[in-house]
Amino acid sequence: MNIVLIGMNHKTAPLEIRERLAFSCGEGLDPLREILKGPQVMEALYLATCNRVEVLANTLEVNEAVDSVKGFILSQGNLAPGEMEKCLYVHCGSDAVRHLFRVASSLDSMVMGEPQILGQVKDAYRQCVASKASGVILNRLLHQAFRVAKRVRSETAIAQNAVSVSFAAVELAKKILGHLQGRTILLIGAGEMSELAARHLIRHGAERIIVANRTYARAVRLAEEFHGFPVDFEHLEEKLQEVDIVISSTGAAGYVITREMIQAALRRRKNRLLFLIDIAVPRDIDPAAGGVDNVYLYNIDDLQAVVDENIRGRLGEAEKAERIIDDEVVKFSEWLNTLEVVPTIVSLREKAEAIMKDELEKTLAGMRHLADGEKKNIEILASSIVKKILHDPITGLKEESQNGSAIPFVAVMRRLFKLDPK
Amino acid sequence: MEAVFFKGALLAYLVATLGYTASLVVRRVMIARATVWLLLAAFLIHGVSLALRCFSRGLTPAVHPYETLSFFAWAMTGTYLAFQLKTKTRVLGAFVSPLAFLLMVISVSRLGVEVNVPDILKGTLVPVHVALSVVGEALLAIACGAGILYLAQDSQIRRRKMTPLSRYLPSLDDLDRVNHVSLLSGFTLLTVGVLVGSVWASTVWGKPWPWDPKLLWTLAAWFFYAVLIHQRLAIGWKGRKIAMLSIAAFAVLFFAFVGVHSFFKTVHRFQ
Repeated sequence: MNIVLIGMNHKTAPLEIRERLAFSCGEGLDPLREILKGPQVMEALYLATCNRVEVLANTLEVNEAVDSVKGFILSQGNLAPGEMEKCLYVHCGSDAVRHLFRVASSLDSMVMGEPQILGQVKDAYRQCVASKASGVILNRLLHQAFRVAKRVRSETAIAQNAVSVSFAAVELAKKILGHLQGRTILLIGAGEMSELAARHLIRHGAERIIVANRTYARAVRLAEEFHGFPVDFEHLEEKLQEVDIVISSTGAAGYVITREMIQAALRRRKNRLLFLIDIAVPRDIDPAAGGVDNVYLYNIDDLQAVVDENIRGRLGEAEKAERIIDDEVVKFSEWLNTLEVVPTIVSLREKAEAIMKDELEKTLAGMRHLADGEKKNIEILASSIVKKILHDPITGLKEESQNGSAIPFVAVMRRLFKLDPK
Repeated sequence: MEAVFFKGALLAYLVATLGYTASLVVRRVMIARATVWLLLAAFLIHGVSLALRCFSRGLTPAVHPYETLSFFAWAMTGTYLAFQLKTKTRVLGAFVSPLAFLLMVISVSRLGVEVNVPDILKGTLVPVHVALSVVGEALLAIACGAGILYLAQDSQIRRRKMTPLSRYLPSLDDLDRVNHVSLLSGFTLLTVGVLVGSVWASTVWGKPWPWDPKLLWTLAAWFFYAVLIHQRLAIGWKGRKIAMLSIAAFAVLFFAFVGVHSFFKTVHRFQ
């Protein structure tokens, strides 16, 4: 048995190639069935996301299997062989295992630590089980991959800190305001990033949203979208006293919010904490407003700096994750080795003989009157029973091994006879 | 027996302090979360030791200033643990636990010293005065601790960086709330405690408020807190200013509480 992994990801293949492949496979064609048609491919998993297309297979003959999978990719993607060779990577044995573990743990993702990939791998596996494309090896391998991903998430901080500006805003808001339940947001102007930030804040509990815009009609429209309240630009100043978070992103040339406005608002709101997020370029909020007590002002560069720092932090955590993965790859290889036929036969015999010895001792201890010759006969009897019982399964295993199909039998045998130490 | 429990409590405070230090060094709230249980154990063991003391010599939990320190450490730990139930401020233990341990270390030197309770301290007013004042002071210590953490978190956020320290510390709003609640309740208890003390003073000394260094310093601290709470409630001061003031006010109060004994002669000393 050999585990191979053939694929392309966002680092090796441009988007057009990935999408051509992913698209054609989505069209009524069952990629798993096509791959399993290949010679010597016994088990296969097909994983396609927007950032990667990968085929994981258990095969008897590596070269033939790789060629047939490549052929499949070639025909599906309508790719010239030369063009494709550049994009593809092929991993064998423990390298393939390591690659799968890295993918599942989101170490190979475009945004390292992102949580979606594990779900996508799980979906691919579900598909694989449904198509009966998985067997002993892939079942074990995938379940271990899910465990590895879980370990990486819980033992490292790889997925902890925000790596997007809008999440960084949520994280900061929580450090300032504690919880966001029942908090009010004032959204000034419109823009993709500010709306995204507002959405994240709402998802984390913020309840009321007030939308201000120079064009009142736009404020009304956006407020409807957020189930909020529109407000006129002239009434902006008085709204500052009732909100907890301000997100500003207008196209105004000057400051929309001045230090004086903030100071006055703070007096009226009895110094309740106020978090200002200025996403606009040029800036909307006078930087001096950030110097007022109980006011915390972050502009787009500050948020980006937080994000950059978090990304650097994730790279550090990735090293820890790689060590966990190394450890798990070794564990998997150890398990794989137990699937060899010879060690299984040896441990089966050892177990049977140990049982026999035990029982003989117990029996003979109560039969001290027997002569040595008689004892010998009983021992011979016991050992020939054991040998005869084991004879057929062992010959059967050897035969299957010559056909190259012993693994499922070995796995079953190890399980039924409890040959693996728990 | 009392000594055994006292030493047990001392040990538990030490272990809790180490736990909080570890959580601070690696900046994991998880460790602080586990250490809360250690601190609870310390509080319970310490409570047994105090109860035994009260049984053996009447209700007065503290006569010598060093004994007051131990009682104060216990009250502070207890009030902190009570806050723990309501707010997400586990990290505050990193302030409470070492302070309690330190006070216990000072207090341990009096352990086993025979104490004769003077006749004037026998009566119901004294235990009430001691309990109210010390628990009030313990609450004001919590306000001070929350103030220190507030300033730390504020400076982290103002530096515009999400440092591991900032992630580890509680949010500004939670800290401000702890500060607020403990200021109000601590000040109230202290006020009533001092009033009870003055009623007692008029019965044994003949005057309710003898002009004595300890009482002067206490009065100064009381005024400091009165102004602070006025600013907070009436003017609406919040956050950084209040945090700084509650640290300064507690410094004065703590001096009136124990420091005064090392620098001045005071009538408020009974051993």
